[in-house]
Amino acid sequence: MKRSIAAALGAATAISLVLTGCSGDGDSGSGSGSNTLTLAGWSLATTPEFKTLVDGFRAVNPDVTIELKEYDAANYDTQMIADLAAGKAPDIYVQKTLKNFYTYQTGKQLLDVSDVAGKLGSTVAGLPTYQVEGKTYAIPYRQDSWVLYWNKALFAQAGVKPPDGSWTWDDYVTAAKDVTTKLKAKGSKAVGAYQHTWQSTVQGFALAQSSGADLTSADFAFLKPYYERSVDLQTAGAQVSFGDATTNKLTYQAQFGKQQAAMMVMGTWYMATLRSQQEKGDADKFEWGIAPAPQQTKATTGTSATPVTFADPTGLGINPAIGEGKVETAKQFLAYAAGPEAAKALAAIAITPADTTAVKDSFFTISGVPTDDLSKFTFASHDTKPENPVGKYTAPLQNILNDLHSAVLSGSKPIDAAITEAQDRAKNEVIGK
Amino acid sequence: MSTLLQPAPPGVIEELGAGPRRRTRGVWRVLGYLALAVAAVAVLLPFYWMIMSSLKTNNDVFTIPIKWWPDEPVWSNYADIWAKSDMTTWLRNTVLLSAAVTLLQVFTGSFAAYGFAKVRFPGRDVLFLAYIGTLAVPWQSYMIPQFVMMSKFHLTDTLWSIIALQAFGPIGVFLMKQYYESVPDELIDAARIDGMSEYGIYRRIMLPLSVPALASLTLITLVTTWNDYLGPLLYLRSPDLWTIQLGLKSFINQYNAEHALIMTGSVLSVLPIVVIFLLGQRYFVEGVATTGLKG
Amino acid sequence: MTTSHVAGRRRGRLVWRNTAVGWSFLLPNFAGFAILTLVPVVLLFYYSFTEWNIFGGSTWSGTANFRQLWNDSSFWTALRNTFYYAVFHIPLTIAVSLSLALLLNRKLRGVAFFRTVAFFPYITSIVAIAQIWNMLFSPGYGPVNEILRAIGVDNPPGWTTSADWSMPAVIIVGTWRDMGYYMLLFLAGLQTIRAELYEAATVDGAGPWQRFRAVTLPGLRPTTFFITVLLTINSFKIFDLILVMTDGGPGQSTLVLSQYIFQKGFEENQYGYASAVSIVLFAICFLVTIVQFLVNKRRDTA
Repeated sequence: MKRSIAAALGAATAISLVLTGCSGDGDSGSGSGSNTLTLAGWSLATTPEFKTLVDGFRAVNPDVTIELKEYDAANYDTQMIADLAAGKAPDIYVQKTLKNFYTYQTGKQLLDVSDVAGKLGSTVAGLPTYQVEGKTYAIPYRQDSWVLYWNKALFAQAGVKPPDGSWTWDDYVTAAKDVTTKLKAKGSKAVGAYQHTWQSTVQGFALAQSSGADLTSADFAFLKPYYERSVDLQTAGAQVSFGDATTNKLTYQAQFGKQQAAMMVMGTWYMATLRSQQEKGDADKFEWGIAPAPQQTKATTGTSATPVTFADPTGLGINPAIGEGKVETAKQFLAYAAGPEAAKALAAIAITPADTTAVKDSFFTISGVPTDDLSKFTFASHDTKPENPVGKYTAPLQNILNDLHSAVLSGSKPIDAAITEAQDRAKNEVIGK
Repeated sequence: MSTLLQPAPPGVIEELGAGPRRRTRGVWRVLGYLALAVAAVAVLLPFYWMIMSSLKTNNDVFTIPIKWWPDEPVWSNYADIWAKSDMTTWLRNTVLLSAAVTLLQVFTGSFAAYGFAKVRFPGRDVLFLAYIGTLAVPWQSYMIPQFVMMSKFHLTDTLWSIIALQAFGPIGVFLMKQYYESVPDELIDAARIDGMSEYGIYRRIMLPLSVPALASLTLITLVTTWNDYLGPLLYLRSPDLWTIQLGLKSFINQYNAEHALIMTGSVLSVLPIVVIFLLGQRYFVEGVATTGLKG
Repeated sequence: MTTSHVAGRRRGRLVWRNTAVGWSFLLPNFAGFAILTLVPVVLLFYYSFTEWNIFGGSTWSGTANFRQLWNDSSFWTALRNTFYYAVFHIPLTIAVSLSLALLLNRKLRGVAFFRTVAFFPYITSIVAIAQIWNMLFSPGYGPVNEILRAIGVDNPPGWTTSADWSMPAVIIVGTWRDMGYYMLLFLAGLQTIRAELYEAATVDGAGPWQRFRAVTLPGLRPTTFFITVLLTINSFKIFDLILVMTDGGPGQSTLVLSQYIFQKGFEENQYGYASAVSIVLFAICFLVTIVQFLVNKRRDTA
């Protein structure tokens, strides 16, 4: 009996190995004709960008049909990995995060689209990020970047000089403390700054702005000044402490939108949210603006320089399981999505396209978006570095640095000890292994 | 048989915490109620917070210090979620799935449990260990191979996939087996001598005796299926197949940062379970008394 | 010779008959279970010996994953934390849920209500649970520390924001959430204890505590076994609660094995390695279960 169970298990294993082993030949999830493409998207009812792209493309190519396949926004990559593994993924799918781009690319789930990239203008941001060994595997259509949001009303009330594009992080710290004290004197409970709990709010800037900083060097000393400033702000009470923000599950939308903090660094995607929340009444109605993110040194400040910041692009890639006759059409779609026409269409729904120069004026005609010169400058000019440089070690290193983030900001570990530990772990568990 | 199977009269266990004298008994009873009341508050607090949050505006949900009461109840959250979402479809799918899974789980589970508990045959214990063994493997680690297999059977993106996923879990077998083992073997041997077949024993003796366990299993399976999120998330793509958990979460995702609606949805998704529990909970305790007498 | 031969054949036929009957009972459940769960789990064993990026191709790498585990300090941290959680969570939950079951297993006015209420933590959304408990534990604003300060504790713990106290906080919440579930199972178990055993014990002059020791506990043994095994496995697999409460932090203070598996697999794309960690987790649970199984069996025959 025992033997027969073992035999049955063995046979079952063999069968399933055969079953799963040959998953590559699976039928692609696309529709019938060669003019029908499928495209992945998420939260279609409230994320109009996919439909905008499809409609814009079809206006030029009316004989092509593009079916949208809906995925879950929060679990997009888990669902996509499952579908790709089972051979049921759509023809074109979005690279929602850069972290997973590496997974797809090394897993051979992306078609080489270097010829599309070659024809694009130099104003399309984020393109080099998708290049691996000289070949391009995805085309960006949207490129957010991190900026400084500030509340004009609170600054006026405090009587503190507002951001003007010339700030370094030290200026930012001084201003945050200044605003806090002066608002307190006036009986307001708002503080100078809110820093959301994500590791990128500290590390993204540190990595982008520190010269020579490189994750894979396993030398994380560049993080130190950024953490010291952050800890300084929360000890001074000029920023909600990390512990309080995590235990109370604070949301950045409420902290800035309900005027709990006068400043906040956040990605440009928040502009669309804030604007609509103010319209609906979920956020208070107040004047706000965006300014370049504070810089590490004076060298990159001022409106004559290009401020350095970070964010990952969002791109489109082609599923290699696509029918051969449809590859050309799919590539045309990618080229369109990264081009100036699509940029204008995206900007009209308050989304930051990959090609911001094409829309630097039209973007500010949307109602509820600030129109001052500094906001316009911030939107159009920035040197945006990737938050997750594509590479084998990025994901595990980011996980290690995330542990450092919570350990330091919760006060569980001093910064020096935390950096030493993270470096040891990076060497032993990731790079050296 | 009827005396053999009668449960402990509640009073007997009650005495555990009480002295024999009447007065001390009264004091204990008051203290007991007090303890229960405190415990009930502690237990209900999150639920209370959930209901209150469902009546707040989005940006008032997570605040320092916590708001125990909405400034002004936003009843429209409930109307919004009905109007904007496809709640009827989600509810229908979830009810369908929960009923099918529970039925299959309770039937096949208790059936197999009888084989494990009361029929002796070689390899039985090894097989049973295999059942428990799979419980010890986290689902995340084999969900992708499982998904690929299911898609070979063309089950993905159908309600069948969730039924297949949930209905044959080992918990039902395990729970029922343990319960059956507390039924004395003499009882079954007596029935065998009377010429009853094993299937007859299962149906006429075991099933009626195990009402409390069947009730627990029903409730647990129902709650698990009702609240399952990851399973439907991985397997169901078409919006007309979504379950309530999947639908609500995806609805919430669509409306970026609508935290009050998350709570509105959570309240709505829990309510049916609460009602079922209130209606069904007496079977865990009182149900058996009547069955015992009938047997 | 002939009689023993006949007896042997009859016993053989009996075994065969029992096997057939036994399997006929198992089959409806086993068929579904074997195809849908057992096969992928067996596959997992195979993958733990490979380098696998989830998209089809996996290359055999022998015991490389396990050797890497041996030198992976994060793995050991996760393992230690998982044991930390399990060792406290299991006995605590059994004690609390058994007491609750005893308390609620009577005909009193309002008890039906309390039975329902005790089950609430299990059905309340995990987001709400995490939010409310994090708030209660909030070091600066939370009521828990306010009470502690009021009774004279000068330096109340930082709970989920402190590396030393985050695990105790998670254990408390874990117990609070699970108690209703296991109480329900204990309640069902209590119904199997025959009334005359209590009566006989009372006649013999046994007090409440002695009756509990001599009648209730032995009568509950199959249920207790089931609950212990289930609770052990579920404690070692703890995942969702940690994810929403602390996300493994601060630092790695609440990183547990299930979360580590998810990180390695879905975030870092090392499914082969993640499978190896799963196998270790499986092996631990399985060993503990077998020990419980054997102990239970010996008591049965004793």
